[in-house]
Amino acid sequence: MDMRPIVAISMGDPAGIGAEVAVGALDEAKVWSVSKPLLVGDLDCVADAISIARSDININVIERPCQGLYRPGSIDLIDLDNVAQQDVSYGRVSAEAGEAGYQYIEYCIKLALAGEVDAVVTGPINKEALNLSGHDYSGHTEIFADLTGARDYCMMLVDGRLRVSHVSTHVSLRNACDMVTQERVGTVIRLTHDALVRMGIPAPRIAVAGLNPHAGEGGLFGTEERDVIAPAVREAQSKGIDARGPIAPDTVFARTQAGQYDAVVAMYHDQGHIAVKTSGFKSDDATGQWTSMSGVNVTLGLPIIRTSVDHGTAFEIAGLGRANPQSMIQAIELAAMLARGA
Amino acid sequence: MHQKPIIAITMGDPAGIGAEIAVKALSDPSMYAICRPMIIGDLDCVADAVGFTRSHVALNRISEPEEAVCTFGTIDVLDLGNVAPGEIEYGRVSAKAGHAAYEYIERGIRLALAGRVGAVVTGPIHKEALNLGGHHYSGHTEIFADLTSTRNYAMMLADGDFRVVHVSTHVSLREACDRVKKERVGVVIELTHTALKQLGIENPRIAVAGLNPHAGEAGLFGREEIDEIAPAIEKARSEGLCVDGPVPPDTVFAKARSGQYDAAIAMYHDQGHIPMKTVGFNLDAATGKWTAVSGVNVTLGLPIIRVSVDHGTAFDQAGKGTANPQSLEQAIELAAQFAAGKAAQ
Repeated sequence: MDMRPIVAISMGDPAGIGAEVAVGALDEAKVWSVSKPLLVGDLDCVADAISIARSDININVIERPCQGLYRPGSIDLIDLDNVAQQDVSYGRVSAEAGEAGYQYIEYCIKLALAGEVDAVVTGPINKEALNLSGHDYSGHTEIFADLTGARDYCMMLVDGRLRVSHVSTHVSLRNACDMVTQERVGTVIRLTHDALVRMGIPAPRIAVAGLNPHAGEGGLFGTEERDVIAPAVREAQSKGIDARGPIAPDTVFARTQAGQYDAVVAMYHDQGHIAVKTSGFKSDDATGQWTSMSGVNVTLGLPIIRTSVDHGTAFEIAGLGRANPQSMIQAIELAAMLARGA
Repeated sequence: MHQKPIIAITMGDPAGIGAEIAVKALSDPSMYAICRPMIIGDLDCVADAVGFTRSHVALNRISEPEEAVCTFGTIDVLDLGNVAPGEIEYGRVSAKAGHAAYEYIERGIRLALAGRVGAVVTGPIHKEALNLGGHHYSGHTEIFADLTSTRNYAMMLADGDFRVVHVSTHVSLREACDRVKKERVGVVIELTHTALKQLGIENPRIAVAGLNPHAGEAGLFGREEIDEIAPAIEKARSEGLCVDGPVPPDTVFAKARSGQYDAAIAMYHDQGHIPMKTVGFNLDAATGKWTAVSGVNVTLGLPIIRVSVDHGTAFDQAGKGTANPQSLEQAIELAAQFAAGKAAQ
């Protein structure tokens, strides 16, 4: 029996590299061996991406996930027929492209909530385009939380051994300091623990970072560690979770990369993002282009499984056939793994 | 031709790994090819480190830098005679060790200010011991600033060509936010530019990180980029400096590391320390010990050159012969490079 989970991929903003990285990923045999990928987007854009990539992959347009062939060599596509590629210039922000990007996501969420697909992987969207089209969200995560009615959720970045959950994300650093509360840190520890168990780690070891340099150095550089983070760690421990910390932020990621912990709980956006992106992203200094982008974004705490690429629409290289599908491949693999563990 | 610079290496806290890594580094002939190194410390401690590391080097006790022979195979030790054998226990915090460490540093600074050594490289000290020893500083940097009467200085971390300079260091994150002011950011840009020139980089390319996620996303997640950081960058540019920013903090270090910039300016301690240590530090998960610690620490803005290892006293492995001298070797190399650049100017 075919146990591969169905993974719906939303195409992202049609003016970006979404279709291109999806086509690139679906040219990889390993994606097919772990999942039944299903693309949700626009036929015209996918066809254009195939010709840009000079790929000989076919397109199989379907109406419902159960109609998919799920065989390498052909892309099963639900065509929402929102835009024609000629109407959307690569690299241009537009309300039309933003609306299309939103519709793909909404469709995927509905399929997942109805149980017709097992997980959703999202391609990159452009926030400005999204907002121009009248959808006032700061990103994917907020759309998913809203449409699934989730209250307690958090963003996890994954790149190999480095898995990092965030107490807060898209807020100012001053605001992020205020959001470090015992309750929130406790919630993120719990969400992280549950996700790691789903990833097949039966007794996950979770490192909780401090907020301040040297984790506050005994209260000398801030008191959040003593007043908020340490109590949250102790509370998690009392519930049987193997959480440790607060640990000095500047060494906790190196320790985790080395295998001392299975995940880190980061106190703010850049604390976690800097660690993951500095080790996972590489740019070509001559051209300034990213040559390697690994890393996947997972939203924990939703009633459905959602992973995402960890890069943007890359408007400057959209339509040129130079986009790297590495992060998309990892996102599909991780979504499939989470779906199997669910 | 300039003579090779004299580099004074302060031994650090005698209860830590300072003497051990110094002996290991100076057992490598490549150090003598680039500089004339000497240790400022206690001869007994250095002798002990030579013993337990089974190093094949002789020791030359000196009381002034001019007496040094600076020849591979013989380590010159400017012996302050602070601690007697058996008086210090490895891995134990003590006022005596803290005070000794302070005196090594003080001597190094005085010699550098007098021009008798070209640079000071500092071994690791223990803050608690330092304070117990009656010296109320939060670290090396503050001692150097105080004894050289320097007001504007900044901490640079360097690992090869990956360099990060910090607007603030040992303060809470909330206070670090308050310290992001255009004057300070401007000073740090200038100090960074000067240091890169001293390292022989003709037209240094500097990236300035934002403070907030996505560099504030046009004011949506904070206004420091608009109100403080961008004006400082504009001013530096108008003075002819090659400065980019504010760049989103989560990608600026990957860009700098891959060679797009000669240095990145970080707005707070961990913004700069996390990328540096995540790529430069390796740990053996089975033993919980660091197997590689690369990266060195430079204080910019001082009238003298000061470079330091980027790790602590490692009390848990002191006296065992397992300490890694990699960071100290890098520190000596960088100090020699700075000293040569300064002499050429």
